[in-house]
Amino acid sequence: MQEWANQLCENRQFGSKMTDSKYFTTTKKGEIFELKAELNSDKKEKKKEAVKKVIASMTVGKDVSALFPDVVNCMQTDNLELKKLVYLYLMNYAKSQPDMAIMAVNTFVKDCEDPNPLIRALAVRTMGCIRVDKITEYLCEPLRKCLKDEDPYVRKTAAVCVAKLHDINAQLVEDQGFLDTLKDLISDSNPMVVANAVAALSEIAESHPNSNLLDLNPQTINKLLTALNECTEWGQIFILDCLANYTPRDDRESQSICERVTPRLSHANSAVVLSAVKVLMKFMEMLPKDLDYYGTLLKKLAPPLVTLLSAEPELQYVALRNINLIVQRRPEILKHEMKVFFVKYNDPIYVKLEKLDIMIRLASQANIAQVLAELKEYATEVDVDFVRKAVRAIGRCAIKVEQSAERCVSTLLDLIQTKVNYVVQEAIVVIKDIFRKYPNKYESVIATLCENLDSLDEPEARAAMIWIVGEYAERIDNADELLESFLEGFHDESTQVQLQLLTAIVKLFLKKPTETQELVQQVLSLATQDSDNPDLRDRGYIYWRLLSTDPVAAKEVVLAEKPLISEETDLIEPTLLEELICHIGTLASVYHKPPSAFVEGSRGVQHKRLPGSAGSGESVESPDANTAAVASEVPPAVIPSQGDLLGDLLNLDLTPTSTTGPPPASSGMQMGAMDLLGGGLDSLMGDESEPLPVPQRTDTPQSPQPPHQSPSPPDYCSTELGGDLGGSPAIASGLGAPPVAVPPSFTAPVSGGLDDLFDLGGGVGLPAGSYVPSKTVWLPAMKAKGLEISGTFGRRAGVIQMEMTLTNKAMSVMTDFAIQFNRNSFGLAPAGPLQVLTPVSPNQSIEVVLPLNTVGPVMKMEPLNNLQVAVKNNIDVFYFSCQYPISMLFLEDGKMERQVFLATWKDIPNDNELQFQLKDCHFNSDVASSKLQGSNIFTIAKRTVEGQDMLYQSMKLTNGIWVLAELRVQAGNPNHMVSLKCRAPEVSQCVFLSYEAVLKN
Amino acid sequence: MISQVFILSSKGDRLIYKDFRGDAGSDVVNVFYEKVTALTGDQPPVVMRHKQAHYVHVRQGGLYLVAITTADSSPFAVIEFLNRFAALVKDYCGGLSEKSVQMNFALIYELLDEMVDYGYVQSTSSDVLKNFIQTEAVSPQPFSLFDLGNVGLFGADTQQSKVAPSSAATRPIQGGKSEIFVDVVERMAVVIGTNGVLMKADVQGEVKVKCFLPSCSEIRIGLNEDLSVGTSQFRGYGTAVRVDECSFHPAVRLEEFDSHRILRLSPSQGEQSIMQYQLADHLPSALPFRLFPAIEKDSSGRLLMYLKLRCDLPPKSAAVNVSATIRVPKGCVSLSQELSSPDQNAELRSQSRAVLWKILRFPGGTQLSALFKLEVPALSSASMMEVGPVGLSFELPKVTATGLHIRFLRLSPVQPGPAQRWVRYVTHSDSYTIRI
Repeated sequence: MQEWANQLCENRQFGSKMTDSKYFTTTKKGEIFELKAELNSDKKEKKKEAVKKVIASMTVGKDVSALFPDVVNCMQTDNLELKKLVYLYLMNYAKSQPDMAIMAVNTFVKDCEDPNPLIRALAVRTMGCIRVDKITEYLCEPLRKCLKDEDPYVRKTAAVCVAKLHDINAQLVEDQGFLDTLKDLISDSNPMVVANAVAALSEIAESHPNSNLLDLNPQTINKLLTALNECTEWGQIFILDCLANYTPRDDRESQSICERVTPRLSHANSAVVLSAVKVLMKFMEMLPKDLDYYGTLLKKLAPPLVTLLSAEPELQYVALRNINLIVQRRPEILKHEMKVFFVKYNDPIYVKLEKLDIMIRLASQANIAQVLAELKEYATEVDVDFVRKAVRAIGRCAIKVEQSAERCVSTLLDLIQTKVNYVVQEAIVVIKDIFRKYPNKYESVIATLCENLDSLDEPEARAAMIWIVGEYAERIDNADELLESFLEGFHDESTQVQLQLLTAIVKLFLKKPTETQELVQQVLSLATQDSDNPDLRDRGYIYWRLLSTDPVAAKEVVLAEKPLISEETDLIEPTLLEELICHIGTLASVYHKPPSAFVEGSRGVQHKRLPGSAGSGESVESPDANTAAVASEVPPAVIPSQGDLLGDLLNLDLTPTSTTGPPPASSGMQMGAMDLLGGGLDSLMGDESEPLPVPQRTDTPQSPQPPHQSPSPPDYCSTELGGDLGGSPAIASGLGAPPVAVPPSFTAPVSGGLDDLFDLGGGVGLPAGSYVPSKTVWLPAMKAKGLEISGTFGRRAGVIQMEMTLTNKAMSVMTDFAIQFNRNSFGLAPAGPLQVLTPVSPNQSIEVVLPLNTVGPVMKMEPLNNLQVAVKNNIDVFYFSCQYPISMLFLEDGKMERQVFLATWKDIPNDNELQFQLKDCHFNSDVASSKLQGSNIFTIAKRTVEGQDMLYQSMKLTNGIWVLAELRVQAGNPNHMVSLKCRAPEVSQCVFLSYEAVLKN
Repeated sequence: MISQVFILSSKGDRLIYKDFRGDAGSDVVNVFYEKVTALTGDQPPVVMRHKQAHYVHVRQGGLYLVAITTADSSPFAVIEFLNRFAALVKDYCGGLSEKSVQMNFALIYELLDEMVDYGYVQSTSSDVLKNFIQTEAVSPQPFSLFDLGNVGLFGADTQQSKVAPSSAATRPIQGGKSEIFVDVVERMAVVIGTNGVLMKADVQGEVKVKCFLPSCSEIRIGLNEDLSVGTSQFRGYGTAVRVDECSFHPAVRLEEFDSHRILRLSPSQGEQSIMQYQLADHLPSALPFRLFPAIEKDSSGRLLMYLKLRCDLPPKSAAVNVSATIRVPKGCVSLSQELSSPDQNAELRSQSRAVLWKILRFPGGTQLSALFKLEVPALSSASMMEVGPVGLSFELPKVTATGLHIRFLRLSPVQPGPAQRWVRYVTHSDSYTIRI
């Protein structure tokens, strides 16, 4: 009966209208042929059914391109339904049949003139989708007409078509002037047209990052804001995303835009809400925090974010990823909304994990009790990942909110009692962190932890437990037994555990030396001899060496007080966070990666930044944030490779003033296997110690010394330089120590002959004052919205100064100046804020002197003396780079003792000597000497050989690098030779330039 | 920007495939299906990435609706779009199923072409779209109200889909009887602490209109006159109906909302959510359920759970499809039960470590009890900690937790003939947790 009814029903349907599902039936032989016949049928209805069949085949992936001419033949019809179907087919296959596609052009052009706007729009829409280069030239005229069509439906379709055409042939679009027409459409009366024009322009602008296509100025912004109120929700998204790229001129404009965007927050479409949040988060940066409106805005942002959490889990997840960013940037927005992030038992696990993360970020003293109660509940749930994260969260709470630490620890102990394996392991990992944060407070729980030693099977937990045992070895009676038990399977452990075990046993040894010698021997030989892991081996050797050389020092190093761990963990790096905030609501905010990491091609690769804050008291922004922006304006700053950095570090460490003077040279090379753990141990173990068995080492490490030791043996049997000067063998005698680190007790006798030579030391003539180059323009007004900066550097009375002239060439008053340097080679940094006390009115110039110090962060620059500077005023932030004369870094105490000079000169390898020629310089040696001394280049000795004056000079840079120089002056010859020797030959070029500048001045 | 949109059957067959920008490649469908079937439960399925293509999908009616984007576009926009797309297909084709999509593929292609141009969403409003659509819809079967037997109240089982179902009517919006449905659907999320104290109670509500009145130009919906919005704005004393926040569909006109709590709108054909609201904590009425648990270890090492569950709804109302999930320690091997009435049942689900106690109908003002005896080898005091929480799921027909009611529903112009107006209320449990 039922069957019969179905059949009847079907028959009835056949009679009236055929259903589409039969098109999906399997391919039969000759199907194409049959379709061909049907397509060429005279009956309109049959044609339509045939085209539908073709499209059905196309959908399931069958190749029906052979029917192209037949389908195109159906194009000329009055039936809109059929026309749409044919166009659908065309879009799909035009690319594979470019020649045939031309056949369709005529119909398209004709349709673009059709009285029915639906058909005009359909034609222009479809033409744009046919991605065949040949067709584009035919497209231009119809498109031009449609862009000016009287019907908004046609205009909005044409606007999108420009973007399509631009993707196929960008040049054509520019040549035909379509971009200008598109810009005009921003002022269109129909908001939908405006929205599409904005969308199309935004996309085109992304592929031309430097063009000023979307010329966002207050007038256009106003138009956009007006259209925002009227267009569809999807149009609102385009417009809001476009607004987010605008940088308001001042906080007042920023506020007025915020006010007009705020109503979008209550929109039902979450995409609109998020785009609005993005605009507000960005523009908020410009509002001063003490403004009333700032507080109002903060309050308004919370409810829409909370509302998002009532959506489907998919949207919730996306929302939570965004909230995670927002909470890191501005925790105050959601600080009262903790409850909404509590986990529901039927949330999917990925939502639960995100919620937990946000709960921790929002945890504070005010809500910690509530949070902890929740976390405790979560820790007994079923899902393993979630439980682990909950346990970890309890630990993070303890670290973040000190008042709750005790309660957190007792909660963790309760959880350990459950003996659930993974709970115990997680708990131990976090308890280790709690010990780090609150040393000597909760050690009473160690006994409980030790009970669970056997159940630990994850490396992280094992490593944490070993760390605890080592750290508190003196309080654990059987610490040696515990650690020994781990040692049995040493080679099966992961590296993490091995390293931790090595350190823990060394700690134990330093605390209880008598009972644990054997253990430490064992672990050291396991680490150094039987392991392939270089990290482990190196650490083993370092401990070995330390223990054998100076156990007291070893104690100081190994048992040194540890820095406290920071409160917040897993924070996103600030620069990345700023960029991600600019991408709220997009994929970047879900992945927590910048778009450049996952979008191919030019699109989206521009790094977006938050605008500078208006608060005058705040710093401009972190120098790191500037790096990328600065790099695009100045000659490319090469980021030093690992090797360069290392080289720099080594050089910087050569400071003779170093307080931890290098160990006696004798302890380095010669110390073989024999005295390992030998003499030094006495001080640890007292008298009763018996000599330790010496481990048999076959492979003596080649250079186990710390890097700051002199790399070459002090062997000065015949000092050539010394010989030349006076032939005194005594000079060499005291030079055993590393050359630049002069022992204060250095009192080697120097023969009388040399005294004469070196007596010049006091200086020749009067110091002429430090060389200060004349000011040059660093930042032209054109590049900086009217602010011109010219300046120079100088060293006056031992203080490095940056002397600048700020000129206002704009029409408005400039205020709120601030300055910041990027990291640079010598750690130059402003010693104080930029003192511009009065506003600079138009056409006014003021002189500013900024004292500098050299305690800033260091990064090697190219060239070495390059300095990247960010200057902020009330208008914007500007970047420029300039080069400073390295002579301003020469210290007043750069005069080297004569003997030291000789030794050093000899000690620096000849490869490090660089020779330069000073051309066209007229001076005699006395004048030169006096000029140079003004810039802290000190003449130590002078010698005359065959009419040539040889000046030996030294100077010392602020970072402790010494530069030694030999200047040869030949009377009557304008060309002179400068030889520079330095352990860091990179600086020589700059030093020579300073010579040149000083002497030619 | 959306690069491609496609609909796949649950078996991975392509039903609809539309490439808007031609920049995402062509093997995307297979890649997507492989990825989505390989997902494990704890991976967020929201955005999946393969090379340069990012897949966003929603699952409705057993179908995958997928959008691909290659740029850094907004996942919110894409998900919203897919949900609207699903709703429109439902409205136009009378349901979202493999069959209805297959039968109406030409219509759906046409819809897609009007909704999205070159990846930019143009419009998702059925009112706008109907001006452009030429193809007529084909219904899978004649519409019948009697086909609803297999689905839960208002069309779906609450625990299977998180989207609260709202409408019994499934058929194309073109033609048919003149009817209008106004549904008030609320979802409750409650946490009750171990000591019986209410820790959290949230209600999320929604007013939905499903309209099949071609000639209706405006409807006016009157809500409770004493409804107040926001925390600061209390009207008078006593138990006024209150919501914390509410948001409205852009088509709703609110001229009379502030003075008389009247919503006015020109309804589109099909379904719309016209108002969404939330209320946190301060609920006006008592919670629907209270649980009184007693848990102990008996002499023979079994775990005894004695549970009393009381329904505090007014006596005229009743809860249906109530089920309580009681978490039990791991390693439970067997369950014996004593239930207070025959229309309940309980079973042990060892996989999810839970006892599931089901009550088909639970009238207001009554109380049920159950005694569960569980055999747990090696029952320790620590495993007692693993008992609980209890999760309740239920439906409360004809009840709103906030007390929101529709005072009247007026249509203008006055409908000729017997226009049928339906107003329905339901409250679902979203998450109702009682800790032990």
